Amino acid sequence: METEHKFQILILDDEPIVCKRLKPALEKAGYEAETFTQSAMALHRITEKEFDVVITDLKMEGLDGMAFLTEVKKRYPKTEVIVITGFATMDTARQSYQKGVFDFVAKPFKLKEILDVVENALAKRTATEKGNVP
Amino acid sequence: MKILFAADEFPYSGVALKMAAGLAMNTWSDITLMGVVPSVADKPATQSSIAGALEQYRETFYELCSHEDSPFKLDRVLWEWIPMQDGAWEQIKVFRGAHKDVRILLRFGQPAMEILKEARNLQSDLIVLGSTSGDRCLWSEAADTPQKVVASAESSVLLVKEDMAVKRIVVCIDDVPIGQEALEMINQMIVIHGASLVLIGLTKEGGTKPAVYQRMIEVGDYYADRGIHVESRTAEISELETLISQETREDMLTLSMSKKSVLGMLFSREWVERFVSACKSSVLVLR
Repeated sequence: METEHKFQILILDDEPIVCKRLKPALEKAGYEAETFTQSAMALHRITEKEFDVVITDLKMEGLDGMAFLTEVKKRYPKTEVIVITGFATMDTARQSYQKGVFDFVAKPFKLKEILDVVENALAKRTATEKGNVP
Repeated sequence: MKILFAADEFPYSGVALKMAAGLAMNTWSDITLMGVVPSVADKPATQSSIAGALEQYRETFYELCSHEDSPFKLDRVLWEWIPMQDGAWEQIKVFRGAHKDVRILLRFGQPAMEILKEARNLQSDLIVLGSTSGDRCLWSEAADTPQKVVASAESSVLLVKEDMAVKRIVVCIDDVPIGQEALEMINQMIVIHGASLVLIGLTKEGGTKPAVYQRMIEVGDYYADRGIHVESRTAEISELETLISQETREDMLTLSMSKKSVLGMLFSREWVERFVSACKSSVLVLR
């Protein structure tokens, strides 16, 4: 029997309330979401599994979001990474883009905003896999 | 984050535009610049003074936000199919920003109502608008627009009254938890202005509820954990208006006006308007 393919999304934010808000919204939209509040645990998880999209906070204890983003892109160049941050600056946005982030979303955001960004990221990933994007 | 900048054609709106542009650029937000033409205008809307002002605001916005690293830098010219009336489509050449675009809207009618309607349509996180400085906060023509927007908006509102550097963000705390979105909005303001944070716990008739202390500790810890300098103090709720008028000259005053907050419950819309009028500097009303 064929099982339905669901896009895999990893969420990393040290604020549990953010994970608690995002996970059900993404699942309701038809994605499979795993949440982490500690970057070390998320880092371990990406050694086990490739995700289609990673959503990460920037400012965290231990390994920060920028280092996590670097690690994800090094390991899986096709994985699209979305940065969400409560402490946005031009500098962090520029650094994120230099490291290949798909989009940079400042908090607070509405769920629809992040769902739209995820949808666009997945569209890009799908197009890349089909060779439609240089 | 989605920002709606609502403006008329007078200088205080130009001051607020600078604040909105700085916010949009740092947070890579979607931003919409909006003006409202009175329904009884005597000439075509595109020839109105507000249409001219919006064009000037667009030019100013791009002067402020078109440097090399800006998400708004115009670096793409594309032919795009644009929907027209009656289901028709037309291909039009459009400029696109490197990562973000600016929308410019002209609406008709009563300004406050149109701004509130557009904020709902856009699902804005923040409305930014300017007003006259000093003891009053008005628009030159539709005078009560700032107060009506502040009192009735479903989203947070930043009312810019002066073109000055914000050194401190002053947050009034009652016994109701500050929501996550409000905490995040304050974060962004602190980072953008390089400001410190002052928490004022609101007391009533000399007594402080333990819950207010609890909230002050929670909020203080939240920001201290993020490396932000926090000062705390208490103030009588009945003296809030005086405190606002005397002590917030170089600060951005932040008022939480959620339905559950004491400020939201105790004070009617008229009081919100009075607080905002009393404040000499910019006011951020959180919802």
